[in-house]
Amino acid sequence: MATATLVSAGTKARVEQGRGIRPSGWTGFLFIAPNLLGVIAFTLIPLISVLVLAFTDWNLVSGIGGITFNGLGNFVAIARDPGFWHAIGLTLVYVVVSVPLTVILGLGLGIALNRPLPGRAVLRAIFFLPYIVNVVAVGMTWLMLMNPKAGLVNQVLDVFGIRPGWFASSHWALPALIVMAIWGGVGYCSLIYLSALQDAPRQLYEAADIDGASAWAKFRVITWPSLLPTTIFLLVTLIIGASQGFGLIALITAGGPGDATTTISYYMYQTGFQFYRFGYASAIGLVTFVGVLVLTLFTWRAQRGRALND
Amino acid sequence: MGAGLAAAVVPGCSGGGGGRSEALQVWGGVPAASGPADVVKAFQQKFPQYKVEYTRFVNDDRGNLKLDTALQGGVDIDVYFTYSQGAMALRAGSGLAADLTDRVRADPELQVYLDTEKPRSYIDNGKVKALATAREPFFVLFNEKLRQRAGVELPHAWTIDEFRATARKLTTDKTVGVYTVPDVARIALGPNYWYAGDRSNFGDPHFEQGFRLGREMIADGTAFPWTEVLSRHLDAYQQNAFLGEEFHLWSTAPFNLRYLYDAKKYPHDFKVAFAPSPTVDGKDWNGGSFSNFIMINPKSPKFEAAWAFVKFWLTEGATPMLKGGKMPALGNVTDDQIVSGMLGKEPEKYFDLDSFRRVVLTSEPKLATDTRLTGFPEITLAVKQQRDLCWIGEKDPGAAIREVRRLADAAIARNERRP
Amino acid sequence: MTRSKWLWGIPLWILAIAFLAPFGWMISTALKPDVDAYKIPMQWIPHPFQWDNFTTVLSGATSVLPAFGRSVFVAVLRVAGELVTATMAGYAFARMSFKGRDKLFLLYLATAIIPAQLLLVPRFIYFQKLGLYDTLWALILPGMFTVLGTFLMRQFFVSQPAEFAEAARMDGANEWRVFTRIYLPLATPVMSALGILAFVWSWNDYETPLVLISNPDRYTLPLSLTNFVDEQGQIAPGLTMAASVISIVPVLLVFVVLQRRFVAAMTHTGIK
Repeated sequence: MATATLVSAGTKARVEQGRGIRPSGWTGFLFIAPNLLGVIAFTLIPLISVLVLAFTDWNLVSGIGGITFNGLGNFVAIARDPGFWHAIGLTLVYVVVSVPLTVILGLGLGIALNRPLPGRAVLRAIFFLPYIVNVVAVGMTWLMLMNPKAGLVNQVLDVFGIRPGWFASSHWALPALIVMAIWGGVGYCSLIYLSALQDAPRQLYEAADIDGASAWAKFRVITWPSLLPTTIFLLVTLIIGASQGFGLIALITAGGPGDATTTISYYMYQTGFQFYRFGYASAIGLVTFVGVLVLTLFTWRAQRGRALND
Repeated sequence: MGAGLAAAVVPGCSGGGGGRSEALQVWGGVPAASGPADVVKAFQQKFPQYKVEYTRFVNDDRGNLKLDTALQGGVDIDVYFTYSQGAMALRAGSGLAADLTDRVRADPELQVYLDTEKPRSYIDNGKVKALATAREPFFVLFNEKLRQRAGVELPHAWTIDEFRATARKLTTDKTVGVYTVPDVARIALGPNYWYAGDRSNFGDPHFEQGFRLGREMIADGTAFPWTEVLSRHLDAYQQNAFLGEEFHLWSTAPFNLRYLYDAKKYPHDFKVAFAPSPTVDGKDWNGGSFSNFIMINPKSPKFEAAWAFVKFWLTEGATPMLKGGKMPALGNVTDDQIVSGMLGKEPEKYFDLDSFRRVVLTSEPKLATDTRLTGFPEITLAVKQQRDLCWIGEKDPGAAIREVRRLADAAIARNERRP
Repeated sequence: MTRSKWLWGIPLWILAIAFLAPFGWMISTALKPDVDAYKIPMQWIPHPFQWDNFTTVLSGATSVLPAFGRSVFVAVLRVAGELVTATMAGYAFARMSFKGRDKLFLLYLATAIIPAQLLLVPRFIYFQKLGLYDTLWALILPGMFTVLGTFLMRQFFVSQPAEFAEAARMDGANEWRVFTRIYLPLATPVMSALGILAFVWSWNDYETPLVLISNPDRYTLPLSLTNFVDEQGQIAPGLTMAASVISIVPVLLVFVVLQRRFVAAMTHTGIK
C-alpha cells in the first residue's frame, strides 16, 4: 500500500533525526557561550532578584533598604487570594482556547501562503500586519469594530440575531480578547511555519507522488512530522505570550468590566504597578512561572516522545 | 546617510547615568510645550544664576514607575510632580520628598498650605511634603444651543434632584441629557470621604445613592448608556461626545475647556455656559480638588535653587499653565489672565462669559485634597470596577457597594498592618 | 495550476481585508481631523483630507526622525547580534552532544518564562550599576542574546538530517566547518524568519526604553510617540497614527526583503 510505504519513509526520516549526534565535549559549550554569557549577564542576574523579591514585602518606593523578608507570607496570601484564583481561571481559558486555535489557523495559513498565489508577497505581509501595527491602532480599531451598537461586527452578527456586548459585557469581554489574540497571532505562526515548510524533505514527496498517496496521507506522514519541532516552538512561545501579554488588555479593557478580563499578567501588573506591592507581584510571577514551566515541560515531553525517541 | 546616522546616534550610546548636572532637573507629566517650558523660561529670566532642565514623564502607571525607579536609583532629579494620590502617600512616606514645613511657615504668601480644614498640601506626620500647584474645581457645562432649544433656565444654584429633572427635560429621542452624574457622596461628605476611623466609609448611604442615581438615569435614558461609555472609552474622551452634541450637560473640570475653543481641531457651532455643581442634602463640597503636587527630592544637592523654583511656580510663575486648564492653586492671577489663558483667543465666541465669571471666578468652591490615602489605589480600582458592573446593569447598586466596602476594608486593613 | 492559484487566492484576499483593517484605520486616522477619529459609525474615508499630521510628525520640535534613526541603529545591532548568537547556540543545542545539554536547555527556556514586566525594576537597578542606564546599549545588549531566538533555531536544526554531518566529518571537516558550510545554508529561511521577528521585537519595544531611557535625546521611536500623549493621558490620534504609519515602513521593508527567502516554493505541500 502507498500509505504503508509512506509511513515507513516518514518513520525513517524521524529516526534519522535522532541519530548521528556524537559527543562533542567542550566544543558544544563554545558554540553556546556567546549567547549563554549574554543571557546570564543581562537577563539571569536581574531575574534572580525577582526570585528573591517574591519572599519579601516591598513597595519599590522605599528603596532597597525598605525590603523586608516575610518568608512564605506572600505565598500563603496568594493561596487565599480570590483575585489570584479568578485571574488564573481566566488565563487558563484564554490560553486553552486561543493558543491551539492560533496554531491551527496559522498552520493552515502558512500552507496556503506557501502555494503560488496572486500577489503572494503582499498577502504574506498583510497577514503579518497585526503583529507589527502599533498596538494603539489595533486597540482603537477593534474597539470600534466591536462597538455593541454600531460596530461592523455586530452589524454582521445581527443577521443571525445575536448582539454581543463585547468589551461592555463581563461575559463577552474575554471572548472578544481571545478573538483579537487569534487574529493577532496567526500571522506570526504562519511566518514561522512558512520558514519551516521550505525545508520539508522533497524526495519523500516525490516518492509519495509516485506511489499515488492522497494529499492528507502526505500531510500526515511527511509534512506534519517535519513541522513538529516548529509547532512545539509556537505552542511554547504562545503560552508564554498569553501568560505575559497585557498590553492590549491594559489598552482596551483595563481588566474590566469588573474583573472580567483581569488575567494573571494584568493582575500582576495591577498589584505591582498600581498598588506598589512589588513583593507580592513577584510572588505571583513566580507562581505563574512554575505553572507555565510545567505546561512547557508537558509540551516538551510530547515532542521528545514523538520526534526524537521514536 | 550611514555616517550621518551613526554620528547622530552614537552620542546616545555613551554618557547618561550617574553624573550630576549643573542645571536644576525638574520632572513633570505635562508636555513641555503645554506650559512648563514657558514657566522655566520665565524663571531663568528672573533668576539668571539658575539653569533648569525639564524632563517630561508620561503620567500613567508605567510612567510613574519610571519616576519612582529613577528617584530610588539616585538619578539626578531635584524637583518633581506627583499627580496620583496613591503614589503621593508612598513617595512622601518613603523618604522621597523633602520636608518643606519650615519654608512654608516662614513665608506669609504660603500660609494657606498649612490649612488642614480644606487642605491643599500633603502633610505627612506633621511635615509638609508636597504642595498643590493647581486647583481643579468641577462645574457643569451646558450646550447653550440645546439648552435654549429645550427652554431650560441656566441654574445659579441647584440640588441633585433639580439636576436630574433638568437632565430629563434636556433628553430628546436623539440626544441624552447628561454624560454622567456628579459624585454624590463626595459632594455630601467632602475630603477623605472613603474613610471612617480605621475602616472604610462605604456604609454611608450616599455611596449607594450615587450608584443608584447613575443606574436609574442610565436606565431611563437621561444619562449616557454605560455600555457605550465602556466600549468607546468615553471616560477618557468625553469631549468627543459633547462636541458631537450627543449629550447636553457635562459635569467636568477646567482641563477639558481647551477642547471647547479649538475651532480648528474641534469644530463646533455652539456656546458653552457654566453652572455650579449641584448640592446634595444641602452640602456643597466640590468634586474636584487641589492637584498637581510639586515636591523636592531630599537627595537633591541644590535645595536652594529647587525651593526658589517651587516658590516661583506657586506664587507667580504658573500663568502659562492656564492653557492646559490648570488654575494656579494660590489664585494669584487676574481674572483676565484666566479668561485669556483658559478660554482661548475668542472667548465670547465659544463661552457664555457671565456664567464663567460667576461660577469659576467669583464663587469660592469648597475644594480640598484627600490626605488619608491608606490603600488608595486599591479602593480606587474597587470603586471603578463595581461602578462599571452596576452601571452596565449587571449588578445591583446595593450589592455593588457592599463589594466595594468589603474590598476597601480589606485594603485598609492590609495597609495599616504595615509599619 | 493557474486555476488552483485563483481558487486559493480569492478567499485569501477576502480574508486579508480583515487583517488590513487596523492598518487602514491607522492611515485613515492619520489623514483626518482628530474629532472624526472617534466617530461612530467609523468614518473610513477622511473628510476633509489633511496632511498636517504628517508634517508635524516629520518636522519641527516633535519630529520623530531622530528617534527613527536611533531605532534603526538599535534594531540593526540587535538583529545582527541575535542572528549570530542564536544560530550558534541553537545549533549546538540541537546537533551537538555534551553532558547536561538538555537540562541546560530547559533551564534556558525557563528564563524566558519569567514575566518580563517583573524584570523592569531589577533591570533598572542593575543597569544603573553597570553604567548603562540612559544609554542605547541598555536596549541593544539584552536584545543581542535572547532565549527565544535560540529556541527557534534549535527547533529548526533538530529536524535536519544527520547524514550531511557524518559525510563531512568523514572528509575531515571540523565542527565549525560542518556548521557554517553545511547546516547554516540550510537555515536561510528560518534565519530570515528570526531576522523579521527580532527586528519587530526591537522596533516595537516600548517598556524597556520607557524605564531605561530618560533623556529625550535618546528616545527610540515607540518612546517618541509619548510626545503625542497629553498630561491627561489622552492620545492625539492623528499624530500618533501618522507616526505609526511612518514607523511601520521599515518593518514592511525588512519583511518584504526577507520573505523572499521563503520561495524555495514547494508545489507539494501535501494538500492540493
